[in-house]
This record gives sequence, C-alpha cells and structure tokens, in this order.
Amino acid sequence: MSFPTGITNVNNFAPELPVQAAEDLLSTPMFNLIHSFGVDLHHAEAYIGKTTRMSRFERLSTDGGQLDGSGVDPTSEVPVRTDIDATMEIYAKSIVTNEQVILWENSKTLTKFTALLGQWLREKEDLLMRDLFSSSVSYLNATGGTNGDQPSNISLNDVNNIETILLGNDARTMLVSIDAMDKFSTGPTRDAFIALCSTNITNDLQRVQGVLLKANYPSQEGLRPEEYCSISRFRFFVSSKAARTPGISTKGNTVYTIPMYGLEAAAKIEQNNYTAVVGYRPPWVVSSVAQNSQLYAKFAIARAITNQNWISGLNVTTFTPS
Amino acid sequence: MPFTIVTQGTFTQPATAVNQIIPLPSSIDYFKTINYTQMNLAGSVCVGGEWFGGGISAQNDGIRWTKAGSNVINMSLFSTATASNGFTYVTSFPAPQAALTGTTITNASPAVASVTNTYSNGDTVVIYDSVGALMYSGMTFTISSVSGSSFTLLGLNTPGSAATAFTVRRVNQFTPVEPSFLFVTAITQATNAQVTTSQINNLVVGQKVEFTIPASFGMVQLNNFNQASSKPPIVMSIIDPYNFTINVNTSSYTAFAFPASSGSPTTQLFATIAPAGQAATYNPITMTTTGYNFTTVPFRSGVFIPYMYVPAGANSPGGAANDVIIYQAYKMETGTINGNGT
Repeated sequence: MSFPTGITNVNNFAPELPVQAAEDLLSTPMFNLIHSFGVDLHHAEAYIGKTTRMSRFERLSTDGGQLDGSGVDPTSEVPVRTDIDATMEIYAKSIVTNEQVILWENSKTLTKFTALLGQWLREKEDLLMRDLFSSSVSYLNATGGTNGDQPSNISLNDVNNIETILLGNDARTMLVSIDAMDKFSTGPTRDAFIALCSTNITNDLQRVQGVLLKANYPSQEGLRPEEYCSISRFRFFVSSKAARTPGISTKGNTVYTIPMYGLEAAAKIEQNNYTAVVGYRPPWVVSSVAQNSQLYAKFAIARAITNQNWISGLNVTTFTPS
Repeated sequence: MPFTIVTQGTFTQPATAVNQIIPLPSSIDYFKTINYTQMNLAGSVCVGGEWFGGGISAQNDGIRWTKAGSNVINMSLFSTATASNGFTYVTSFPAPQAALTGTTITNASPAVASVTNTYSNGDTVVIYDSVGALMYSGMTFTISSVSGSSFTLLGLNTPGSAATAFTVRRVNQFTPVEPSFLFVTAITQATNAQVTTSQINNLVVGQKVEFTIPASFGMVQLNNFNQASSKPPIVMSIIDPYNFTINVNTSSYTAFAFPASSGSPTTQLFATIAPAGQAATYNPITMTTTGYNFTTVPFRSGVFIPYMYVPAGANSPGGAANDVIIYQAYKMETGTINGNGT
C-alpha cells in the first residue's frame, strides 16, 4: 500500500470550498436624484377622478384706474384664472422569486431585493420628473461657448440670459444666499435659482467665467451631495441620468438640456390612499404549490409645469464633443 | 400560467395606412399579427408576422408570412426578400434613429427635403446641419408626402434660404411627457395672430401657451414679460394641424422671421411655445362650454412603454389601406426563449 509523500500544498490538497463570499455585498450603483427636490408637492384626493387641477389667478392689469371726480366708475376687470391639469399615473415593478433561490442563495435575497425595489421606486420617480422637464419646457440654445456648435457649450452669457428671462417674468429664487466667511478661497453665493444638468458637462461648468465650485462655498452645511457649483444666479445639480439627446446638434453631437427654474415652476402630485409602497406576497398566495413569492413596489404620480414663466433653460453641447 | 395571451385586439387601417403602436403593459415574449383581410385573398403581400423576444428577432424585423397563390404560404424575414419594415419592440424611450444625409431643402411653401429614406407620413424627424439654412438646424418636424427620395415639411414655409445639404434623424412621434413644447416657424401680424408650428401640434381651443421668442426671430413682444397683463395667450381657433390663432393682437409687433443662416452658430435659437394650462368659456346662447379638454391638455405620459411598433405597408405587419389586422401578445411566466435569463 502506497501513500502520498512530500509537502502538502494547494495543488495536492485544494480548499474544499473554491470561493467564499466577502463580508458584505458591493454597492449597487445609483444615480443622483435631482429632479424632484425643487418642485412643489401636492396631494390628490381619492374617489374624485384621476386628473388634478391646479389653478392660478393671473394678476390684474395696472393700466388706467384714475378717478376723475365725475362719479363715473372705472372699467371693471374680469379676473383670469389659469388651470393647470395633470393626470395621475401608477407605476409598479415586481420580483418573483422561487423558493430555491431563497433557500440556497448566500446573500439575504428578500432583504436585498426589497432594497432594490425601494431604489427603483425613487429612481423611476426621478426620471419621470426629468422627462417632464425635457418635454414640456421651452429651452434656448447656448450660443456663448467657443466650440462652434449650435447649441454651443455653456457660457456665462448664456446663464445670465436665463437669469434675465426668469427675473423678467418675476420668478422667485429657490435657495437662500450663503453669506461670506473668513475662509481662504471661498466666496458667498447669492440667493439662487436651481439648474439641473448632466454629469457630462461638469468639465464645461468648471470653465465658465465666475464659477464657484461647491468646495469654495463659505459653508458646506445643508448642501446636497448632488450639487456641483454655483454660476451667477444659479446653483447647478448634476446627475448621470439628466436629460440629453444624442446626435442632433449642428455638428451631430449630443445636446444636453438644462432646466433652470425658481419657486413654484413645477409640481409633483402624490395620490392620497395610494402611498408609495414596497410590498410582499407570500408563496402560498403567488404559487399553487407555494414555491414562488413576490416582492413589489408601486407608486402613483402626476406631474406638471405649473408656471412656464418661472422655468427656462439651456440646450448645450460639450466643449469636447460627446 | 406558463405561456399566455396578455394582450390582443384588432385594428383597421384607414384609407391611408398608418404605423401602429400597441401598448404592452406586461411586456412580452412573443407577438403575432394576422392580416385578416389579405389572408383571404390570393395576393403575394404580407398576411402575417411573428416576433420572438429574448433578442431573437432583431429590431425592425421578425418573421413574415406571405401568400403565393391561393393556398401556399411562404415565410421569410422582413429584413430579407422584399425588404420592408418589421416589428420593433420598444422598452425604453427611443433615441433618435440613425442619421440620413440629404441633398436639399427648398426655400418654398411648404419646404421639401430631398433624401433617400424609408420614412412614413406623419413621422417626426430632427433636421440638423442644414447647410445654408442653419436657422432651423436642430428643429423637429412632422413630415408628409413621403416618397423614397423626399418628404414635405408642412410646418416650414419659405424660411429664408434653401439648404444645400442636411442630416436628418427620425425620432419618436411623441415626447415622454405631453403636452410638449413646440417649435414656432411663423407668426402673422394680425388681430388674432396665426401661429405655425413645425410639427402637428394637437392644440385645442381654450388651451394656453407661453411664447419664448429670442430677439433674433423678431416678435419679442409676445414674450410674457412684454405682455401688459402677463397673461398666457389663449388658443382661439385651430386652422389646421400646424396652424392656430391666439387672442393676441400682433398687428403692431415686430414681424416674426427666421434669422439668416449666416448668423449661426451665435444666433439665438429657437422660437418656441410651451403648454401653460387651459381655461373655459361659456356661451349662454348656444349653451356650450369651450376650453376644457381632459384628454390632450393635462400633463401626462406621451406614450405608454413598453409597446410594439407595427409599421404599415403591404409587406409589413401593419398592413395596407383598409386591412383588418389581428394581433396577440404572449408572455412566458418564467424563463426566456433563449434561456440566458436576460
């Protein structure tokens, strides 16, 4: 009878388990959610239809009005009401999981799947608001950049032009000023409108005359991680999923859309009696032999541009074609 | 429920057949059409189509059934033999399609673009790099009178100069959210100004809009901050799918005109309108309320996704004029047809 001799090593004595799981899962990618926090939140009542109406009384004319003492009354004016309607829509996603996955998968699948659905819920909501901004708002092409394209890359003149439009339409800023502090390389930011843009133009944002990068704000207190910089009267927030349309600039490059707005420009409407929910249906409900369970997420949302005069924006390309 | 029909229905093509969009709420693994009209005839046109999911059927393709004589069925791919448009299963909002290079766009009313294409009447395109006519480079248009070599832009009338070359991409007919902003190509100086948009605008009487008109286009008085009362203009009448009138007297305003092509890329573009709600009026004599529209005015999704794009055409699954088409969509509860789980 012979027996092996020599050094015991991994070649003749391989580990019985070829792989081990790390102590925790790696991060699931998630894009910046920038398209909802600057809009008004409204709630729709249940049982009275799926269309929500938001109404605004337009201001009265300031023409005339002087009394001449004759006793003749001035012309009365009929006020004008503008009705903004939005239709409620419901979105949902589910994951149906067989019991054998739950039984043998190393990670806690139901817990992780629940987290994935929660993330989907917020991401989907963000993209729906992005689509509202990209579809239903008038944008001007940037022309002050130097890349020779139409639209051009972003410039200070373009940003200031949008500020002029918003101020001319009596839009109100959304963010308060950050006062100057005695810190090197920092500068105050004015009360500001907000601008939402793609991460692809951060290179160009840094080139804009007068840009104040977020790190150079006097205070970092209360700033959102998605914020990138301040230019003129706008504070820019970036997301990899911000609106863009590939291949339609004059030179055939991607056009990026940057909504820029102030208070009460847009609204998100949630449905009463239909709160956003992540839920679970057990196997004995989903499957006749109790083998498949289901996780789901669903939410209701309506969206609207509530005042076109308080939102504007730019179409831009990047300095380096993209 | 291993494999079941999740959606089915029929549609009848109008006198001018149009491409069809079939919403598919549950997503699908298999889709079929039967041309119930042509199936009963002896022609050699498409009488049925099949589409398989899991990446098996390519975009704008699928299996085509055609008849040969009265009782024989031939099968081929839409992309082969008599090449024609097939099924396209759309699961996310479509990006602009591949670019085509055109030769000319006339400076006429309406403008006509010459380009070899497979587009259909009513399609939406973006035209850019329009050499000699850069003032509308990047603008979106609805096209009509489409032939294999040209199409007409009913929303573009004598823009000022002709294009001697251009590039065009077909884009989705709908925007992700409707109502959407629209490009303005003309505004008259009149008591009730007439506005022309580059696309079929689907506006209704009583709808309100806000104008954004750069100084390069002239009539800046229509911008809200130049209006005495700051009220959004109201659509007064619909002239045709591209033209409507508003309740603003523009007689004394600066004339609206496209800027010269030579101004690009520094000329400010474009003139646009954006949806700004609606308001009703009541006529006590006719006892009619005008203005509220709960179908097209509220903000809502422009198109239901996912959907199956079923193109029209004698050799396509959507059929030709007056054809009755039956469609069915199937879904497998678990797994996919190619087994890779994707």
